Amino acid sequence: MPQGLDNLEHVVVLMMENRSFDHMLGGLKKKFPRINGLNGDESNPDASGNTVTVQPNATYQGQLDHDPDHHFPGVDLQIFGGAPAGPGRAANMGGFIKSYATQGAGGNSSHAIMNYFAPEKIPVLTKLATEYAVFNGWFSSIPGPTICNRAFAHYGTSFGNVDMNLFLVTDSDRAKIPTIYERMKQGARSAKLYYFDQPSSTMEIVNLLKDQSFFATYDEFVADCRSGKLPEYSFIEPNYTDHPGPGGGQLLANDQHPDHHVLAGDRFIAGVYNEIRINPYLWRSTALLIVYDEHGGLYDHVVPPPCTPDGFIAAPAATCTGFEFKFDRLGIRVPAVLVSPYIARGTVVPGTEEPRNQRIFEHASIPATVTKKFLQGNDKGTVREQQAETFLDLLGDQMRADNDCVFFKMKG
Amino acid sequence: MAKEYALTVEMPQFDEQAAYNHDRPISSLVRTQLLHLHTAENLCLPEKVRTGININHLLTERQASEYIQKVTALLHRHGKAAKRKAAASTKSKGRKKDSKKASEASGSKASAGKAQKPRLSAKKRKSLK
Repeated sequence: MPQGLDNLEHVVVLMMENRSFDHMLGGLKKKFPRINGLNGDESNPDASGNTVTVQPNATYQGQLDHDPDHHFPGVDLQIFGGAPAGPGRAANMGGFIKSYATQGAGGNSSHAIMNYFAPEKIPVLTKLATEYAVFNGWFSSIPGPTICNRAFAHYGTSFGNVDMNLFLVTDSDRAKIPTIYERMKQGARSAKLYYFDQPSSTMEIVNLLKDQSFFATYDEFVADCRSGKLPEYSFIEPNYTDHPGPGGGQLLANDQHPDHHVLAGDRFIAGVYNEIRINPYLWRSTALLIVYDEHGGLYDHVVPPPCTPDGFIAAPAATCTGFEFKFDRLGIRVPAVLVSPYIARGTVVPGTEEPRNQRIFEHASIPATVTKKFLQGNDKGTVREQQAETFLDLLGDQMRADNDCVFFKMKG
Repeated sequence: MAKEYALTVEMPQFDEQAAYNHDRPISSLVRTQLLHLHTAENLCLPEKVRTGININHLLTERQASEYIQKVTALLHRHGKAAKRKAAASTKSKGRKKDSKKASEASGSKASAGKAQKPRLSAKKRKSLK
């Protein structure tokens, strides 16, 4: 076993909101050609048929004040360019502007969906992506919105849901498909779901209803890191709203969901990373995964690949496309970065651009990895978990020297 | 003294005051969260402790976060109370079980947990009157 894996005692997952791979990391390709980002000539037609190419003009806030569509039919339009649903149609990633135009972003403002960040504008995420491991092929689990995608990170399935509706898992389903937190508890392992604070709370209401002992706040995550009480598995949710803080302060949303300030999220990622980085014991014994739940309607050029159906079927009424969905295709690609001092600088995990070496990840890879590491196998995992790639093999034998690993500090 | 790191990256400053807007209309994501918490409130909380807030009137991030905070706190409080109740009930059942085991071990016919008066025959009861 590589030393990095041997020393590993903690897995921390930070799941951000609604940004595509190309939007956040696509600009890195120019300097790092192995990263499957943008060449600069990728384009989509607008509603008038004009060709609009990608531009490094994404702004932190104010450009996406109409929330881009990321519900099932909207994502279908983005992937298939408006070709009617049915067997045999080809995905072309050509409907992003058309889709955004339906959200009230008329005329040229709909072109904003093609914008991406110049790497220097989001220094934390781009630095971590190039200093540690970046995944060229990490896809959201469903071509749809937040709740069902996040469910894959917790359960390894969305129980057939492709929308934002609350799904109440029956006791019999729960017995068959427990959450990763329950599985850890049953295996005498520790796991926590840290939401930012109570005014932001969690998107995992189903879990909240069943066992509150799994929940804690981000302040408690910081305290747990500092007191050496970090559980073996931690899942962190960002702050979903601008709201008053304790003592009259102001807390900025840091989830990066449009139209929240993207730098607030970049700073939050740095905060989580630094908490692990400053503690020598945690630094050598923790793997941190930063991943986004779904693409949020923002442009990405990679066609989502097919996947193994998980046994559930979403009815035509649920998909709103006139066709059922058998969970046989992944959603749009999202940024994913794995951090550990046992990962060589500049590691790029190949995706669909290298068919022979490709490794396709999705959110079911999270419970699959945690199960494999801490519960010695994935016998209790869902169909999708059993098929999912796991990521801890990226940790090698050599721990990088302390002066070779980055630390983030506030300017000025 | 804070440790000095050899390889540091500076995070850019930005105007947080300008970025902050708790009067921003809520996104469909936060609207969904409200709906889910409202369902949870009705499913899990006794009627007398529910907030009674009409979530359709919550339009801004500040209004939503106030409601979300209240219901999250209530769910935690109620969940802890339910857990304590369940633990107490298990403990009491456990005590009953232990007592039953003990009495069975000692050959007593008295049922476990609650001491019972010995049953007297009708003839004996009559004789005691």
